[in-house]
Amino acid sequence: MTPATSLDSLLRVLPEGRVVTDPDVTDSYARDRTFLTPGRALGVVLARTRDDVVATMRWATEHRVPVVPRGAGTGLAGGATAVEGGLLLSLARMTDIRELSPADEIAVVEPGVINADLDRAARAHGLMYAPDPSSYEISTIGGNLATNAGGLRCVKYGVTRDSTLGLEVVLPDGRVLNTGRRTVKGVTGYDLTGLFVGSEGTLGVITAATVRLQRAPAAPPATVAAEFPTLRQAAEAVAAVIAAGCRPSLLELLDRATLKAIDDWRNIGLDPDTAAMLIAQSDTPDGQAVAERMAALFDECGASFVAASSTPQEADELIGVRRMAYEAKERLGACLVEDVCVPRSRLPEMISAIEAAAVRHDVLICTVAHAGDGNLHPVFVFDHGLPEPPPQVWAAADEVFRAALDLGGTLTGEHGVGLLKRRWLDLETGPVGREVQLGIKQVFDPLGIMNPGKAIQN
Amino acid sequence: MTTSVELTWVSALRAGLASDMVHDDADTLERHSRDSAPFSPAGTPAVVVTPETAEQVRHVLRVAHAHGVPVVPQGARTGLAGAANADDGCIVLSLLRMNRILEIDRGNRLVRCEPGVTNRGLSDAVAAHGLFFPPDPASWNDCTIGGNIAVGAGGLCCVKYGVTADYVLGLSVVLADGELVRTGRRTVKGVAGYDLTRLFVGSEGTLGVIVEATLSLRPAPGPSLAMLAQFPSATAAGEAVAAIIGRGHVPSALELMDQVTTRAVADVGHPMLSGDAAATLIVECDDRDPAAEVAAIAELCRTAGAVAVTVAADQEESKRVLDARRLVLPALQRQAASLPGRPTAFIEDVAVPRTRLAEFIDRIALIAAEHDLYISTVGHAGDGNLHPTVVFDQADPSAFARAERAYDAIMEAGLALGGTITGEHGVGILKREWLRRELDPGALRIQQGIKNLLDPEGVLNPGKVLA
Repeated sequence: MTPATSLDSLLRVLPEGRVVTDPDVTDSYARDRTFLTPGRALGVVLARTRDDVVATMRWATEHRVPVVPRGAGTGLAGGATAVEGGLLLSLARMTDIRELSPADEIAVVEPGVINADLDRAARAHGLMYAPDPSSYEISTIGGNLATNAGGLRCVKYGVTRDSTLGLEVVLPDGRVLNTGRRTVKGVTGYDLTGLFVGSEGTLGVITAATVRLQRAPAAPPATVAAEFPTLRQAAEAVAAVIAAGCRPSLLELLDRATLKAIDDWRNIGLDPDTAAMLIAQSDTPDGQAVAERMAALFDECGASFVAASSTPQEADELIGVRRMAYEAKERLGACLVEDVCVPRSRLPEMISAIEAAAVRHDVLICTVAHAGDGNLHPVFVFDHGLPEPPPQVWAAADEVFRAALDLGGTLTGEHGVGLLKRRWLDLETGPVGREVQLGIKQVFDPLGIMNPGKAIQN
Repeated sequence: MTTSVELTWVSALRAGLASDMVHDDADTLERHSRDSAPFSPAGTPAVVVTPETAEQVRHVLRVAHAHGVPVVPQGARTGLAGAANADDGCIVLSLLRMNRILEIDRGNRLVRCEPGVTNRGLSDAVAAHGLFFPPDPASWNDCTIGGNIAVGAGGLCCVKYGVTADYVLGLSVVLADGELVRTGRRTVKGVAGYDLTRLFVGSEGTLGVIVEATLSLRPAPGPSLAMLAQFPSATAAGEAVAAIIGRGHVPSALELMDQVTTRAVADVGHPMLSGDAAATLIVECDDRDPAAEVAAIAELCRTAGAVAVTVAADQEESKRVLDARRLVLPALQRQAASLPGRPTAFIEDVAVPRTRLAEFIDRIALIAAEHDLYISTVGHAGDGNLHPTVVFDQADPSAFARAERAYDAIMEAGLALGGTITGEHGVGILKREWLRRELDPGALRIQQGIKNLLDPEGVLNPGKVLA
């Protein structure tokens, strides 16, 4: 069967305008935020309803065509990259908030809802949607669920999984599956919800989610920032804050390379002796007092400069520095964004390992970290002109991955495996774990048409 | 001949275990035949094994797998759904001797332990390091961490601190064929591969045998204060719960007792409790300023129509407030003792969305009246998770039948209100028929597929969860 005739039969089962085959349009749905070169897709389905997804998956099963589901394409691991001869299935137009119940503190949302839109809708009722990946203004809930996204707030409020109560999923054969529940607690049967969250579109297509909302803090958070002459001192300050039980709602670390990239771009007056910056927030009613305690701890750990914000504007400026980090790096070159996570106490060692890898392989690595979670994003910068990272970048990345695993950590804290990290996944899961993972894939997707080649090692 | 076949696998079993780890005396077999669940059939095991290492557990599973002998993993048998009930001729695999705490890591706030450690043993051990393991099922003194993980146990403080699943970072699990798999990690976050850890949590021993767990901990909370409020109706109490949550309070316990329970506890004698109220709320707060918080909550209770509110001024009074909740079991035992025959108290476990709580309590009262039964309901109100308890004489066939019907009616009412048949006790044998009512057919098919994948020979706790 030629691709053209296959799509004819798909066009017949979907409402008009849902399928686009114009290569220019298709190309715009073929990538995520990685440098990876996508395969050539047959076309893209712009789903508007669950029935569109059902029809698409039935068709794909009948014709054995791979399907790559996608949200906004903000992923950093290649999970949404088009596969050769496959169909792209965009959920970005399924944007209904089907229900928002302030009393039960839950919302039922479609996958294309933008993270920040859900948060804003919740805030109208004094609630918030806690997970806030850096891409929160543009990424979709469906994509967040598929990767089990984290964010800045998850040091206090948990990751996407912790906010997910139930899912509506279209299986590869077009059947609709409901998992989980609307109650806070529940243990009926195996936790299928947990399996889908973070499965990167390899088990089914999420068409709705019942998510937990949390009470929004009453006052704006109190913010404190500090500069340190060494990375180790900054890492020790992180440990001190956690050990003191401060429960920050945000605790971010920026290394010198990152600060320099920001300074070169926006001139933040970077001190030549600063090796790292910490930014912390507390959103409790006594947040100001907690911020002062954290400031004192930063001082004790050898900070060269500590600044507490007294106004929300000042706080926004401090957080703004953190939010500038990625863009500042993208100005320097193409980026391989990594996402290792280690037990918190191993943060200094992990940072040392990253620095050593950068020197050994002569690679520019800029690191920011959700320090309170032990989750680091070393960004490997390479020449824009290159189609993919040069060998020394991969060599440095390999060293960073292995160091993370040696320190009791993981390859990916919140971005997912996608295509980028499959090579290393076996090191973490081991042969039996791999076998079980493959078995689970088989249970849901016996034909192997759901986002093939992603997330698990096969 | 059956005996020689049995001998083959029993002697294979003995070959890899010390002599004091294989038990087949009638006493031991009888003692390990069932957990604490009502209405759930149990058989007599062929042997009870008590291994001390993961390697020995692997040996047991290899033998069982090779000979097709069912294995029923057991902790302290405090379960309330029959998930640890023996089958005739099975191997009961007791993990009680694997009770070591392997590591307490203060810096990363985690603990690594074996499954047979009791919840209390673990809580005490980490408390000595200024740390806190929140899940606190009512059986915490005896129940094991392995059992807690197997059922996804909750407790009083999960309204604030979450359930067992929220604290499991990683597991070592022996699979049906004796292979060992490590899931999860030591880090706070991680998304490499499918979440197998969550899959094993709550799987009730049907997918593998947990031989080690890495659990996250929290810093020890500060001193707490408690308060108690009594209401003229379940609806008023429900409104108070909604107001407490709605105002953003996060109490460390938010327990509700219905009229029947309130009466029973008052009859045992409690200085702060009037037996006439339709509902009682017990609230505990452990945040930085608990006095201010309980005072604010007390005001919300009054606004919701509370007829009596008692706020503890100090730790000593707090303890007395919380005694009201602790007295529920003795009070029900006293109620049971007043019955003829073989009185018993069977505990149910249904969760509904918080907003349906009052409605659910009223329906339970109706069910009690319709079936002419004594049903006392206490619940983790903040979670919408209620434990109606039916007290009856199990020697009376009519009472037994009515109790069983009432149990079903309660689950049906819970589902009708958008709830679930089990909030924290699990499915076991007791609720496996009801699992089919709650889950959609597609989900059942997938659940069965996962079971078949991990236990193709069906040796792991067969007949539990999935019928």
